Amino acid sequence: MEENGTDMQTESEQCVYKCARQKLENLLNKSMKIRMTDGRTLLGLFLCTDRDCNVILGSAQEFLRTTDSFSQAEPRVLGLAMIPGHHVVSIEVETESLQSQGL
Amino acid sequence: MVMKSSCEEDEGAWGLGIPEKMRNNTDWVDITQDFKASCKELKLGELLHDKLFGLFEAMSAIEMMDPKMDAGMIGNQVNRKVLNFEQAVKDEAIRVKDLTLPELIGIVDTCFCCLITWLEGHSLAQTVFTCLYVHNPELIQDPALKAFALGILKVCDIAREKVNKAAVFEEEDFQAMTYGFKMANNVTDLRVTGMLKDVEDELQRKVKSTRSRQGEQRDPEVELDHQQCLALFSRIKFTRLLLTALISFTKKETSAVSEAQKLMSQAADLLPAIHSTIQYGIQSQNDTTKGDHPIMMGFEPLVNQRLLPPTFPRYAKIIKREEMVNYFTKLIERIKTVCDVINTSNLHSILDFFCEFSEQSPCVLSRSLLQTTFLIDNKKVFGTHLMQDMIKDALRYFVSPPVLSSKCSLYNNHQAKDYIDSFVTHCSRPFCSLIQIHGHNRARQRDKLGHILEEFATLQDEAEKVDAALHGLLMKLEPQRQHLACLGTWVLYHNLRIMIHYLLSGFELELYSMHEYYYIYWYLSEFLYAWLMSTLSRADSSQMAEERILEEQQQKGRSSKKSKKKKKARPLGKEITMSQAYQNMCAGMYKTMIALDMDGKVRKPQFELDSEQVRYEHRFAPFNSVVTPPPVHYIQFKEMSDLKKYSPPPRSADLYMAASKHFQQAKLILENVTSPDTEVNRILKVAKPNIVVMKLLAGGHKKDTKALPEFDFSAHKYFPIVKII
Repeated sequence: MEENGTDMQTESEQCVYKCARQKLENLLNKSMKIRMTDGRTLLGLFLCTDRDCNVILGSAQEFLRTTDSFSQAEPRVLGLAMIPGHHVVSIEVETESLQSQGL
Repeated sequence: MVMKSSCEEDEGAWGLGIPEKMRNNTDWVDITQDFKASCKELKLGELLHDKLFGLFEAMSAIEMMDPKMDAGMIGNQVNRKVLNFEQAVKDEAIRVKDLTLPELIGIVDTCFCCLITWLEGHSLAQTVFTCLYVHNPELIQDPALKAFALGILKVCDIAREKVNKAAVFEEEDFQAMTYGFKMANNVTDLRVTGMLKDVEDELQRKVKSTRSRQGEQRDPEVELDHQQCLALFSRIKFTRLLLTALISFTKKETSAVSEAQKLMSQAADLLPAIHSTIQYGIQSQNDTTKGDHPIMMGFEPLVNQRLLPPTFPRYAKIIKREEMVNYFTKLIERIKTVCDVINTSNLHSILDFFCEFSEQSPCVLSRSLLQTTFLIDNKKVFGTHLMQDMIKDALRYFVSPPVLSSKCSLYNNHQAKDYIDSFVTHCSRPFCSLIQIHGHNRARQRDKLGHILEEFATLQDEAEKVDAALHGLLMKLEPQRQHLACLGTWVLYHNLRIMIHYLLSGFELELYSMHEYYYIYWYLSEFLYAWLMSTLSRADSSQMAEERILEEQQQKGRSSKKSKKKKKARPLGKEITMSQAYQNMCAGMYKTMIALDMDGKVRKPQFELDSEQVRYEHRFAPFNSVVTPPPVHYIQFKEMSDLKKYSPPPRSADLYMAASKHFQQAKLILENVTSPDTEVNRILKVAKPNIVVMKLLAGGHKKDTKALPEFDFSAHKYFPIVKII
């Protein structure tokens, strides 16, 4: 289906794609902390993502920004939450679980 | 999970409240770049997910940073610090003592507005508990504010308890959640009313001491002080009266209800004084007329933002202070009306009372109070009568069944007693449900009425069996008497009433399209009202038969006295008359709709996926569970209403004329009603113009106009004035 000249290229593309997918799949169901553009942090299980980096976390809890000295320590339970990709500032994942998966 | 509540200052470990288990042994690794790069490799529209997690689950996720879904976003976007009560006191953002009179008046008024907004269906967290003072009245040192804060908490608590107990609310009516707030449960009701009374007395002394004396040069400052004291006094007293009245409703004696009524009247007397002094209170700094939360001392609209459930945020618009007094006036009026229910004794009049009360679409609190006043602790009516006795009285009043007459041999017959007692016991639950249904909001009533028909169908079946059994017994004991279709008639009567109510409420709720009117009105006039009238007349003749027997028995005793009052008004007379009027109104509307259709003045939908039959069957679906009267199916309806069976078939002009006659007939019947009530006048307001319009249409007025007629339901909920444009 592809022209001969681009065969190599598509093969390496395929490899990159598979690699990326593998990486992401290994992260599934891991605890993840996502910081959003407004400073809030969500902690929950990584369930789903797509090309635009929209992320769905399960059993998510919301934490207010830590710099605010008055912010309550109590998190707010959100349940299933979707964070649009353009609002994701940083993503962290638990190392212990990462190591056990050998990533 | 146990949450770590300690708060660490350093930014690096922003593990605020993160479970201890996770904090030990684990480090968080930033994978932002890697993650984002990996995501980029995914194909457009491709979802990476677990086997157990699909698109369906993904749909139910709330979207962060979308103001429509993300309640937490709002609290995070304001620039000011959101302080809770203790923090605010520590920061001296609010004071707990030495409050000025204008501050107190402003706080009280805003609390009242919050209370009303809560009663209108918003959550406590977004209304009353935006007032920081009620979070912990213990911390308040100002006696007036402390008593008021406790008072308002008690009012909320009792109102909540009443509404919960009555169970006539749905999520659109009322939010019962308290979000873990304490509702002043550690203080007794008596203590709170006592505190309010003390404050009240203190203020009254001040009012008296600042009162102007004759001939004295009035110091404007003293005068202002006087006015402000009076303003606060009225508010505190109002709170006390409202609270005391609500407490009265929790008592079991019926005398407590009339006590509550008296207290409500007293509270109503204070409202003008409250209204005229609203301007003395401090006002919020922002423009609340646009529905914003009032931002003023003691209030923090966002303090509970994090307590809200992860559903779509609802914005609670706190009502304006100017509307507060108006609302209270109406609320008090409603509660006073509720108190009147104890003066009705007959089950039928109680049912009518509930229907009538519901017609003004009352608030959830008054509806609940009516329920809890009617059935105290679900056992006895008004706390004194057994529901079974009420039902027996209703039966006696309606059909005078021989089995319930002390002059009948069945009265003391064991078997007959067993039959009737078990029947009456079985009636109890459906009738309590029926009354409870009338406590729901108007839209929910319709749905519930449709369901309760099933229960009444079962009851109908039982009534007929008991009738037959009693008749068999009676034939052996007193062969000259009958016990036919007594209980059955009574249940049928209620059945029909429910069905009629169900259909009519569709007009009120604007559920029907214009092209549907004709079969709804047909069903009512040709079928349900015809059945209702024959049921009523059967009950009436059953009453008369029973009266005759009684008279005969009396005359046997003392034949000298002849019964004089021969022409007594029949107890069901009024109801028969009204049913005739309703039937004529429905028949008039039915013929009007047919004639308009003939003239091409009814817009019909393009039936693509459905047909008229589908709609018809949907409209009358709940009636399928009823055995008597049997449901009329669409095919039957089409046959029965076929105009071709007349020769010659009527033209539209004939039908307009016939409709006009029906309206005319309704008018005649209603004008002969002695002591007409508002309902009679409302129907007359529709009948009269319709007579004229129908005559005009019959004469060919605007026959060629393409404009569709208008149906104006403003004069009556169920019958429109037809307008030709």
